[in-house]
Amino acid sequence: MKFGGLTCVDSLNTHVGKDELVGMIGPNGAGKTTVFNIITGVYNPSSGDVLFKEKSVVPLKPYEVAETGISRTFQNIRLFQSLSVRDNIRVSFVKSINAGFFISTLQIGNYLNEENEIEDKIDELLEIFGLIDVRDEYAVSLPYGEQRKVEIVRALATSPELLLLDEPAAGMNPTEKTELMNLIKMVKDKFKISILLIEHDMKVVMGVCERIIVLDYGKKIAEGNPENIKNDPKVIEAYLGESHH
Amino acid sequence: MKNKLLFLSSLVLVFIINLFAGNIDPYYYTILIYIGINIILASSLNLINGYTGQFSLGHAGFMAIGAYLSVSFSTYFAPFFIESFGQGIFGNTISFIILLLIGGIAAAIAGIIVGVPSLRLKGDYLAITTLGFAEIIRVIIQSLDVVGASQGFRGAYIFENGMKAAMIPADMSSVPYVFYSVPKYTNFFWTFAFVVIIIFFISNLMSSSYGRGFLAVKDDEIAAESMGVNTTKFKVIAFVSGAFFAGIAGALYGHFNLYINPEDFNFLKSVEIVVMVILGGMGSMIGVIIAAVILTILPEFLRGISEYRMIIYALLLIIMMLLRPQGLFGVQLRPGKKNKNK
Ligand SMILES: Nc1ncnc2c1ncn2[C@@H]1O[C@H](COP(=O)(O)OP(=O)(O)OP(=O)(O)O)[C@@H](O)[C@H]1O
Ligand SMILES: [Mg+2]
Repeated sequence: MKFGGLTCVDSLNTHVGKDELVGMIGPNGAGKTTVFNIITGVYNPSSGDVLFKEKSVVPLKPYEVAETGISRTFQNIRLFQSLSVRDNIRVSFVKSINAGFFISTLQIGNYLNEENEIEDKIDELLEIFGLIDVRDEYAVSLPYGEQRKVEIVRALATSPELLLLDEPAAGMNPTEKTELMNLIKMVKDKFKISILLIEHDMKVVMGVCERIIVLDYGKKIAEGNPENIKNDPKVIEAYLGESHH
Repeated sequence: MKNKLLFLSSLVLVFIINLFAGNIDPYYYTILIYIGINIILASSLNLINGYTGQFSLGHAGFMAIGAYLSVSFSTYFAPFFIESFGQGIFGNTISFIILLLIGGIAAAIAGIIVGVPSLRLKGDYLAITTLGFAEIIRVIIQSLDVVGASQGFRGAYIFENGMKAAMIPADMSSVPYVFYSVPKYTNFFWTFAFVVIIIFFISNLMSSSYGRGFLAVKDDEIAAESMGVNTTKFKVIAFVSGAFFAGIAGALYGHFNLYINPEDFNFLKSVEIVVMVILGGMGSMIGVIIAAVILTILPEFLRGISEYRMIIYALLLIIMMLLRPQGLFGVQLRPGKKNKNK
């Protein structure tokens, strides 16, 4: 991926398996978020390809990528500011809802049943994330930690097969981080989805991820199970290098 | 179910009031009709500018298309309508429904032609395109003799030799003709029936899960797209339905005023509708309705200084932006208690 003359993500070659929880770590500006933006169609890569279920998603628009079953959260939270928590999540059902423009305005046919089903699904997800009590609040009025959880729920509500989480634990304290990671693992098992998770802090992902990808200056410098990554000299150097900044 | 009952009883109420509307002083009756038409215009623009967060600046253009097309049909094709449906209350009702739909559908088609290319682009192209579009429509009408050009349009002359025209051509002065003036179909019932229809249309749509797509587009397009919302599609739907109702409003206007002039649909009219939406609070149904009422009545009190209307609107907007940026009735978004502890 190139911006002007700057190469941000360079020949990254990797994969996420079915039902796998993969961590992506790397110092600031390593290109992690850019990888998400490429996968979800926000950016078009200058070269290379992204395959999902054996099909390229590069030519697709972001909403089409979402339709194929990839969903994401945003590092710089992007909740819908004029909507309540519940309505933020309702947006995720727009793509799968049977009731279109006419049925929704006339409220005929199966309209009410479908709305009730959506309501139940939203409540179920909110329950899992402990957000049921704030479901009628404006999403942006919540504390940051809860906003991040709303983002995860919103992404999950699109029924993805691959979920991309961009620093879901940012701004949380270590206990909250560990709790959230366990929650994410639980969700992955419950809904049988694959997850690619960006995290800044290596320690946080060590516990839950089956495999870790390390990016530095847009290049993959290591990939493997947490044990190997922890002891990889290149990774240690990248992270030591970072602490000098 | 409750909703449908409310809808039907509102229509019945409008129907009953209409039975007594004959007793209203003609001056107040006229204002009442204009209030209804402006509510339809402002609410339909609210769908585009308020709920969906786009910025259309040419609503009068769609109104013009609706007005001119439906009035052209009701005059040039008057013999056809009279022959097919008669002139009883039943026949007139059918004729008028057809004429209203002609106005609405024509405006909606124009909406597709203008909206699809400009809504696909990112950024504020829509304001410029719609502004240009409305001006082009006005200029075209001004030069179209068949609808009276800049003289305005009152009806159609149908000559014995089959010729039809909006004015009597010099060389036809000796040919016998029948003049079909614009039929006065618009009354309290039709105007406020459409007020009821658009209120229910918008409130049903916006309370549905599907309707969340519009609000998501307004708040954050990237997030909306990433959740699978086809943002272009939602923008086009909002734009085209808005245009449709503006066309209906135009048809109602034409069949009430019985005379339409390109200047009725100039830039000032578009601005007036935008001001109603901003003043009422983008995306607030009640606010926009109240603003439409106020801005219809206000000029009546200010007749002496009507040439300063633009200035008054501008001042209103500035005061509004300073004191209540969310509009008279818009929701004040609570500032987030973001405990950023990074
Ligand atoms: N749209 C863009 N235009 C130009 N440069 C960009 C753009 N997006 C990202 N970059 C640059 O690409 C590089 C990688 O950015 P990216 O956001 O992917 O890093 P990151 O690994 O997510 O970092 P962080 O840990 O801070 O979130 C940075 O140098 C950034 O400035
Ligand atoms: Mg990032």
